[in-house]
Amino acid sequence: MVEEVSDFEALEIAVRELAIEKGLFTAEDHRRFTEFAEHIGPTPAARMVAKAWLDPEYKKQCLTDAIKASLAVGVDWLNPTGFGTPSDYTDLRVLEDTPTLHHVVVCTLCSCYPRPILGFQPEWYRTPNYRRRLVRWPRPVLAEFGLQLPPEVEIRVEDSNQKCRFIVMPVRPAGTEGWTEDQLTEIVTRDCLIGVALPKPGMTTNIPLPVHKPAKPGHH
Amino acid sequence: MSQHDRTHHATIATGKGDPQCFKGTAGPAKFKVGQTVRIKDLPDVFYTRCQVYTRGAVGEVAVVTHESPAPEDEAWGHVDHSEWFYIVRFKQKDLWPEYPAAFANDTLQTEFSERWLEAV
Repeated sequence: MVEEVSDFEALEIAVRELAIEKGLFTAEDHRRFTEFAEHIGPTPAARMVAKAWLDPEYKKQCLTDAIKASLAVGVDWLNPTGFGTPSDYTDLRVLEDTPTLHHVVVCTLCSCYPRPILGFQPEWYRTPNYRRRLVRWPRPVLAEFGLQLPPEVEIRVEDSNQKCRFIVMPVRPAGTEGWTEDQLTEIVTRDCLIGVALPKPGMTTNIPLPVHKPAKPGHH
Repeated sequence: MSQHDRTHHATIATGKGDPQCFKGTAGPAKFKVGQTVRIKDLPDVFYTRCQVYTRGAVGEVAVVTHESPAPEDEAWGHVDHSEWFYIVRFKQKDLWPEYPAAFANDTLQTEFSERWLEAV
């Protein structure tokens, strides 16, 4: 993990912040593009959440024995790669959001992450910037991801520092009534499962990337 | 363990999982869900996973999670003694004095081995 910010990273941040200030795109657009660019498709954890939204009994199992519940989405934590020994700690906990409670996961000490069910961490999840700031200033950090929640929603930061691994189970969004498990799985993106975004109908990691027309196009 | 054994995890956790492989080795849990606890400020000369920002803070046990050797021991290959682990919930304003009063409901949870907790 690189501790220092390189010149190119400083330049990227400067240009990005200027572009957001000028209204060329929003912080949420940027987050969405970053997620897309890292090619994270529907993960087994997304399917777990979608199944739980549809099946109250399965949801109960996710909240009480997530390791067992993982088997239903094709993940055996004791043998996650299909060979060899366990590659990670095997105590998965599912954090259930409600309309008045939102969870977000961080590991301040390194980058603990539920890899067997969610793949590798995004780069930002490993940065000291995210790790140091999320625990202390969760609302400003979430705002940088384009997520702003009202004060009546309790934000609960989960600092994953021991052998438990966590995923967030967001509230099923309005506008998804009658959807199938496959449709629901598509909108539970990686960032929703970490807790820095909320699922929205039409917002998936698999659709063609939208082209944003500049709000103030330059002249050539 | 006379030598640092880097393979203990693989040999004892295969087919069971870790921390599941330490189940039943810590005796009765000292704290229960809902109990108010304070995080001790113990010395941490070598290795710890108890964050400095939690030291001295008072919170509530949210989950009694599992049994395992404490990381302070396991880091050196000592896996003979297990402890219970607890997820403790703090009010953000009890951790950070400057946390905005407008968001008084916000909380933070993190996990401790039993040695770090004392009843309040």
